Amino acid sequence: MNKHRVIIFKLIKLLIIIVIVDTVLGITAEKLFYTQKTGKYARSTYAIDQTNAETLVFGSSHAHRHYVPEVLEKELQTSAYNVGAEGQQLLYHLGLQKMILKRVVPKTIILNIDEDFLFNSTFAYDRLHDLYPYYGDHKDVLRPIFAVNNRFVDIKMFFKSYLFNSTIVHMTRYYVSPQIDYKGYRPLNGIVSEKEIDNYENDIQQKSNVIDSNLVNALKEFILNAKSNNIKLIFVTSPKFIKGNYRKNRSFSLINEIATEHNIPLLDFFNDPRFSNNHDFFHDPSHLNDKGAKYFTKLLAKEILAL
Amino acid sequence: MYFNSFDFLIFLPVTFLLYWFLDKRKIVLQNLLLLVASYIFYGWWDWRFLSLIALSTVVDYVVGLKIYESNSKKHKKRWLFCSIFFNLGLLAFFKYCNFFIDSWIELCSAIGIQNQEFTVMRIILPVGISFYTFQTMSYTIDVYREKLKPTKDLVAFAAFVSFFPQLVAGPIERATHLLPQFLNKRSVSQGSISLGCKLIIIGFFLKLVIADRAAIYVNAVYNNVELHDGLSFIFATVLFAFQIYGDFAGYSLIAIGTAKFFGFDLMTNFRRPYFAASIHEFWNRWHISLSTWFRDYLYIPLGGNRVGKFRWFFNLFITFLISGLWHGANWTFVLWGAINGAYLIIEVLLSAKNRKGILNIISTFILICFSWIFFRANTVSEAFYIIKKIVLQPGKLYIGMGDDIAAPFYAVLAIIVLIGFEIWREYIGSVKQITEKTEISRMLGYSLLIFLILYLGVFGDSQFIYFQF
Repeated sequence: MNKHRVIIFKLIKLLIIIVIVDTVLGITAEKLFYTQKTGKYARSTYAIDQTNAETLVFGSSHAHRHYVPEVLEKELQTSAYNVGAEGQQLLYHLGLQKMILKRVVPKTIILNIDEDFLFNSTFAYDRLHDLYPYYGDHKDVLRPIFAVNNRFVDIKMFFKSYLFNSTIVHMTRYYVSPQIDYKGYRPLNGIVSEKEIDNYENDIQQKSNVIDSNLVNALKEFILNAKSNNIKLIFVTSPKFIKGNYRKNRSFSLINEIATEHNIPLLDFFNDPRFSNNHDFFHDPSHLNDKGAKYFTKLLAKEILAL
Repeated sequence: MYFNSFDFLIFLPVTFLLYWFLDKRKIVLQNLLLLVASYIFYGWWDWRFLSLIALSTVVDYVVGLKIYESNSKKHKKRWLFCSIFFNLGLLAFFKYCNFFIDSWIELCSAIGIQNQEFTVMRIILPVGISFYTFQTMSYTIDVYREKLKPTKDLVAFAAFVSFFPQLVAGPIERATHLLPQFLNKRSVSQGSISLGCKLIIIGFFLKLVIADRAAIYVNAVYNNVELHDGLSFIFATVLFAFQIYGDFAGYSLIAIGTAKFFGFDLMTNFRRPYFAASIHEFWNRWHISLSTWFRDYLYIPLGGNRVGKFRWFFNLFITFLISGLWHGANWTFVLWGAINGAYLIIEVLLSAKNRKGILNIISTFILICFSWIFFRANTVSEAFYIIKKIVLQPGKLYIGMGDDIAAPFYAVLAIIVLIGFEIWREYIGSVKQITEKTEISRMLGYSLLIFLILYLGVFGDSQFIYFQF
């Protein structure tokens, strides 16, 4: 028994040292995280802690790269900030929305809709780790989102090193090469090539088409959060280079149904003839370049005014 | 249940505490607990396949006793064939059935015969089937060879077959080494627990920081062969060399470390394989439990090197060809095995088996990396396409996009740490000299490693590559 006691005592000692090392180095990682000036973390931190913009744009890279806040501000006579984040999906946007709404209530939220938003995707869950650093201050709103597809959230989030998992290389990158943005918007330059168009056409046939009920619920919650705060919510789809029958897409048709059900306007630019097959406006088949983004934002502002 | 899951983080301490709570009682209770725990561990994936392990256990248990009881060589042999037929039959059906049907259909269509009668079946590959069938076969073969007396203790035997630390991805234990440990009283010491913890921590570092980080880049390149150039394939292949090492050696270390918690010693499975100065040496350092299994149960029975040169080469080649097929039901693995067999034959012809020195280490690493192309490529034609691109179209190096951009950097950083650590172990001294000055420095060292795992590791339910074999 004595032998067992010694082992348990040493294991407890090891655990204490692990917690101390984790806390000390974790605080260092936290300091590094919150002192960033540019990059995706700096943008989300700014949106959560500082922005007072009246119009916020949410969404994936299509939001981040297509909506020019300066154009929105000029056309709509408002203040705007783009909180779009590359590669992120509905659960992320919901988490970000909830954290922002704890501090400030914007007048308008634009959610850029990707047609595949409701399809099952591991990325929707895996990439939530970009929100882990905020767990300490926003556990009340983030825990239910993280727990959707993740057991033992409390144990995992106990370790500071885990909260800041994978942030160091991005941070180093942003320190070495600052990622300049314009109120959250980062322009893309260059014109789409034919090779990229061919590859994109092959790629779009391979996606999942299984509706994920967690993502459906996330969208509904996003809508309810806006409604309960009297925020004007607008769904927008960005232009695509290749025309397609996106209404046939199960995810997109469900999004349409949900929007109709909740009286949310959906401004659909997917097949807008001013953009389709127009090389000048596209950086790649899925993303507008700066010229296209400015033109699109201007057109969008006009439609918003007309609502 | 994956080692890198939080389920396991709860499962292990609970099993550990229950196990040592039974310390003063009969050993059979500990074995029974291990058996139940192992079945829970395995059933976490798919409880239906527990029946296969149970069946395999009963068949080999009975066959072991029957071989021992048989008076004539002929009867012994007959019983042995029963065991081999049953185990290889399981493997053939669950792992290779569709492969052979698919290959047959392709062959027919290549020679212009439309074969409507054959279609592939919906068969799920049971996790770890290649490992436990080989382990139980070693038992009956060793009983037949009279290296081992069969046990009458069914619980101990069943616990040996299904011992959860090494059940699904090895090391493939020999009955002569592991079974006696189930039959004798085990003890726990501070040293074994401490060593177990260290091995588990290092194993997780290899898996989560090196293998899973490298995998992000490797998958991005190897799963989109059309989009990438030769330089990217070279980089991805080198990363894959460390991915598969980190993945498999990591699993083995976690398995060995976990077994220590219960007072068991498992065999070493990797000894710094990329420091090998010849292919022959590489195979003495890489997946040792499998290499020695094939040596003892296939290569030597075929005649080994105690035959004519041509037959010797045939033995070498066929052993590696089958070893390749063991790794997976795909022609890529068969070719991988064939390449390694060919390497060994060429080494014998050049009398280059006992090479030494840094240049030979580097050239061996390059040759091994070349064979990894076949191991990792999704199809044989893609493997050749990749080689063609490496030779003819170096192009530019892909460094990843979005979140993936960080993955190769993390992986390379961690690989540098690993290489430094292994250089120390290979040429300078033991890990003790680095970490074990005092208890506090030792604990601090491992706490730091845990911090790195949590800070840099990939967390998701990523599988260990060898589960599929």
